[in-house]
Amino acid sequence: MAEDFEPKIVVFACNWCTYTGADLAGTSRQEYPPNVRVIRLMCSGRADPVFLIKALVNGADGVFVGGCHPGDCHYTKGNYYARRRINALQKILEQFGLAERTRLQWLSASEGPQFAQAMTKMTEDIKKLGPNPLKEALV
Amino acid sequence: MKGVQLGEEALDNLFKSLLAEGIVDVLIIPQKIGENVAYTMVSDPEKLKSPAIFTPIFTVNAANVLKHMPAEKKIGVVFKPCETKAAIELVKLEQFEKDSVLMITVGCPGTYKLEDYNKHADEIGDKLDDSKIEQLKAAGCEIRPACKICEDKLLETGDVLIDRTDGNILVAAISEMGEEALTVIGEIELTDIDTSALESKRSAIIESAKPFREEWKTASEELRDLDKFLEVFKDCIVCKNCRDMCPVCYCKTCFFEQPLGKPEGVDLLNIVGLRGSIKVPSDSLLFQLTRMYHDCFTCVHCGACADACPKEIPLTNIFPWISEKVKELFEYKSGRDVEETLPLLTYQEDELQPRE
Repeated sequence: MAEDFEPKIVVFACNWCTYTGADLAGTSRQEYPPNVRVIRLMCSGRADPVFLIKALVNGADGVFVGGCHPGDCHYTKGNYYARRRINALQKILEQFGLAERTRLQWLSASEGPQFAQAMTKMTEDIKKLGPNPLKEALV
Repeated sequence: MKGVQLGEEALDNLFKSLLAEGIVDVLIIPQKIGENVAYTMVSDPEKLKSPAIFTPIFTVNAANVLKHMPAEKKIGVVFKPCETKAAIELVKLEQFEKDSVLMITVGCPGTYKLEDYNKHADEIGDKLDDSKIEQLKAAGCEIRPACKICEDKLLETGDVLIDRTDGNILVAAISEMGEEALTVIGEIELTDIDTSALESKRSAIIESAKPFREEWKTASEELRDLDKFLEVFKDCIVCKNCRDMCPVCYCKTCFFEQPLGKPEGVDLLNIVGLRGSIKVPSDSLLFQLTRMYHDCFTCVHCGACADACPKEIPLTNIFPWISEKVKELFEYKSGRDVEETLPLLTYQEDELQPRE
């Protein structure tokens, strides 16, 4: 059963870097697992932690937020705010063993291969963790 | 620090003078109403008949009343340190102007839940001290869990500090606004006071809270598991009392009053269709986790949420504990200084997850 487990991972990607990086990964024919569902946001700072909580509560096995490297934000500081928010959220989720299912990573528009790598790594890690227990729980 | 020693009667007159001299337009102050004590708002000094500021009771967090107050009126509030802390967080959240509110903090010996106070009103009285707390504990009447772990019962925050030790009442000005307010009142003459007694009382409070904090930490750490966490919240009926009574939950329209956070009818059927089965009322976990995130920086550990919960979910073991963990991350303490910036409104370039 565990081997058949195909996780569902929600990816919130910044329009200016990670999303374009994902585009580059596609056009340069980089392969990565089909487990990820990419949602485009205008900035990683738009990734309200409530989005992450809702995804997890509704049974997503992992949530990934991709933003610009520090200093490179299109809106100068959105990713700095995102970093504080996601870290605070992870601290909360840590108490209930859900923090490992969330990840914040910096991926620029030129990092197509890195995007593919990040998705592969995330999928592998979540496979090791197993399905989200909230999927089966009555919440 | 400047202050003055006053008698009980002089203290009551002080509150009247605040209104009569026009230092404040409205005073929010706990008063005796029959056998009970409740917060009142007073504009006419003649109607300020029975202030009961030392009664150890927690009804609501009075900072709630300050939300959306217009800046034109000057408002005075006489409340406990946890309520002052909440008011300071609300200033940071831009819910009212600091300059229009005179915060008078009353040193607190710990408080009882309204139900417990009603049962034991005569024994509790308004002169609570540590030995009395022990006596009442033996009689099965304990102070609120949030008060047991509180280290801030004599926090120097707000504009004026009122403290009673062994029957002596000290009124001290903490801020410039507080000093100005006290000087306008004719009968009072401020002198420099010795703060060493206050300091030692403060360290005694921290010391006596220690064993309870250890207990609280152990109880909280036990919840550090998803199954246990779900077990605790299985009784949640999403009545949202915790949110309504929380002083720092301040949104005018809550996410959980909007269609996305409060699915009804077809929306609800769609969610069931998607998941196969859900608990009703829906989204209790989403609600609790979201509230945890929204309040983790500003939580003042007042325990109003736990008091308000009709299902007696031990929220004091959850919210303050989570909030302390998050605050540690940003080295932030809530309710200290209005000039401090909220952690989410600022950032440092090199922190948490540096550039790879």
